[in-house]
Amino acid sequence: MRTKMREIGVLFALMGWGLVMPQAVPAWTPTRPVEAVVHTGPGGGSDIFARAIADLLQKEGLVPQRLQVVNKSGGGPTVAMAYLAEKKGQDHTIAFFTGVWVTNPLTRKEAKVTVKDLTHIARLVLEPAMIAVKSDSPYKNAKDFIEDAKKRPGQLRQSGGSVTGRDNLTRLVIEKATGAKWTFISFPSGRERIANLLGGNVEMMVIEPQEAREHVRAGNLRVIAALTEKRLPSFPDVPTTKEQGIDAPLVPQARGVVAPPGVSRDVAGYWEGVFDRFVKTNSWKKYLEENLFEDGYLKGPQMNKFFDELTVQMREILKEAGAKIVR
Amino acid sequence: MEALSDLLLGLSVALTPANLFWCFVGVFLGTIVGVLPGLGSPATIAMLLPLTFRLDPTTAMIMLSGIYYGSKYGGSTTSILLNVPGESASVVTCLDGYQMARQGRAGPALGIAAISSFIAGTVGVLGLMLIAPPVARFAVRFGPPEYFALMCLGLAMVVFLAGKSMIKGLIATLFGIWLAGVGTDIFTAESRFTFGMMELLDGIDFIVVSIGVFAVAEVLVNLESQAGAELFKVPKGLRNLLPSLQDLKDSRFAFVNGSVVGFFIGVLPGAGSTIASFLSYGVEKAFSRHPEKFGTGAVEGVAAPEAANNSETGGALVPLLTLGIPGSATTAMLLAALILWGFRPGPLLIQENPVLFWGLVASMYVGNIMLLILNLPLVPLFAQILRLPYFVLAPAILGISIVGVYSVSQSLFDVWMLGVFGLLGYLMRKLDFPAAPLVLGLVLGDRLEQSLRQALMMSQGHLSILVMRPMSAGLLLLTVVILLMPVAGKIRSWRLKAAEEGI
Repeated sequence: MRTKMREIGVLFALMGWGLVMPQAVPAWTPTRPVEAVVHTGPGGGSDIFARAIADLLQKEGLVPQRLQVVNKSGGGPTVAMAYLAEKKGQDHTIAFFTGVWVTNPLTRKEAKVTVKDLTHIARLVLEPAMIAVKSDSPYKNAKDFIEDAKKRPGQLRQSGGSVTGRDNLTRLVIEKATGAKWTFISFPSGRERIANLLGGNVEMMVIEPQEAREHVRAGNLRVIAALTEKRLPSFPDVPTTKEQGIDAPLVPQARGVVAPPGVSRDVAGYWEGVFDRFVKTNSWKKYLEENLFEDGYLKGPQMNKFFDELTVQMREILKEAGAKIVR
Repeated sequence: MEALSDLLLGLSVALTPANLFWCFVGVFLGTIVGVLPGLGSPATIAMLLPLTFRLDPTTAMIMLSGIYYGSKYGGSTTSILLNVPGESASVVTCLDGYQMARQGRAGPALGIAAISSFIAGTVGVLGLMLIAPPVARFAVRFGPPEYFALMCLGLAMVVFLAGKSMIKGLIATLFGIWLAGVGTDIFTAESRFTFGMMELLDGIDFIVVSIGVFAVAEVLVNLESQAGAELFKVPKGLRNLLPSLQDLKDSRFAFVNGSVVGFFIGVLPGAGSTIASFLSYGVEKAFSRHPEKFGTGAVEGVAAPEAANNSETGGALVPLLTLGIPGSATTAMLLAALILWGFRPGPLLIQENPVLFWGLVASMYVGNIMLLILNLPLVPLFAQILRLPYFVLAPAILGISIVGVYSVSQSLFDVWMLGVFGLLGYLMRKLDFPAAPLVLGLVLGDRLEQSLRQALMMSQGHLSILVMRPMSAGLLLLTVVILLMPVAGKIRSWRLKAAEEGI
């Protein structure tokens, strides 16, 4: 009886300790440099994003160790995601995801993991998109373009990246909503997409505001629609597709942070805490503003619903477009 | 005149002590990166980026671009000495550079590479200053049909690379094009010839294949010949270690050709220095009075591709200057770095930040001079490496090849692939198949297929788009002319023979 009492006493003491400590010292902190996996090569969108975040985290003093960007490119995000699967349950590794992490595994039999298997840390930004044409184009708004595309099905052309990327998915949803048809041409690099638009080899492209801003200011490009719920503060005169009567769902492009599958609650909690504090800093707000990103902050546990809904929506769009869906 | 005042503004920036110092750091690091096979300039720039956040942006740009063009100087070193291409653009340099080294002319080869890099690097910067706006309009007109035609022209270079048997050259090219098809098809996001292996999803890295079929195959072939036999002669005396006046005279046309070809290819956002180096080699051989010397140690065969490779740097900045579009992957990386410094890269960047851009351009003049001064004294030093007995050199070459290939993407799979392609290269040597056309097919194959499919998507499947556009038609016509050259040569020799026999 006495021993039992002592045990209970110890138990209470431990519980009390447990209740007080988490606020003061996190259960886990990195003790060596942290790998930050990206699925693009040096200079790719995700690579630049990761390097910027790594630098900001350091400047704000939020992570005691260095974040080291590791490029694992191959088959879109396939190689990077498989690398994370190999690191199952291990700490000191995080990764930066984008929308293709959701869509790509749907059409790829080589993919071993989906974004559902990974540990969700934070969704950080939503990248808005717009429709741009050359400045001497006859299309003054999205309706002009759609009308012409209906008149000459398949003859108008859009430059873009991968067919599982946001720009092609956007085309598919608008085509479905309006009945118009045009051609999507893939180019491997962003610089070729713009060069072909400027050279008149294609009529239109889906572009991020940050990329379009300077070309619009220089008078090379004209933006004819915002692919957002509300007008963009940086382009207040450009009406959204909804305003122009195009009733197509929006395809979000999200960026954020995940960790390998099966990471312990302590590690996941640590990173959630870091990014929770990070999104409140001024340097983060300044970064969003400079890059014309939308704040897309979602804490880890809330990301499940976002990924689920996006997966269902994207599977439907890709299936209708005739892509081979493997899962 | 505006160019002159811009340049003076740039020089006032570039010649400050701090900028001179960082420019030197950049070109020095670049030379090292270039000498080490595998490690490329985009990866190095990405790694060093965080360190430059504390520098003034102009200074940082000067240093980072120093790495970019500095690496092109260094790339030729291992190509010439060890037949290990240091950078993808130095593959062509192996063909004649390594043969020169075997003949005891490693010094002159390295010297010519440095001199032609200097000349072309400077010409590239001059072109950037003087003719950028009209050239940029040309770059934008260059759509998928034109790229397809350019790739056809590039593939026609097989005529100059095939060696003895044209059939074997063509087979090697086709095999290269097939290899380029391995990986993910960007138009459907489906994988091809990957056999379920994830490592193949991004295709087969060009540097893995070229180090395999050049360096590893060479070691294997040499091992077979008498062990310990002296492979290289290294003459004594400094004079024999530097290019002679005759070498410089022989390379006159190559300097011009390489500079011009490199510059114009550099301007195109969808081409690159590897293509430029192959094209300029072909042009050089086509116009040479002794084409039979190419591949056996012709000094022009080193000068032309090295020049093309370096003037490409100036060309790649043209679309950036005039349109705000980077001309190459490394320029794109530099541009992205500017965002992190709070700049807004785009068409107005240069107009609104003249100090940044012209300081950079002026620093490229200065950097090219530094590189020449840095590299020429290294020539005799590097040439000494060949004094090593082959039983030391052979494992060293294999070691460098393996480390180089591994460092491309830190993948052991690539090292296995290196072995596979080394064996393939060995078999090809035994069966007298030339290796260069294989590499040519691999470099151009991807782009060939992409641009053809893009062009046909543009025209809704009508092949006429390839000949209806003047630039594309012109390039295709040139391709046909080049392909007919060996046929014409054959016919002439038959007729001569027939005439002789008839008498």
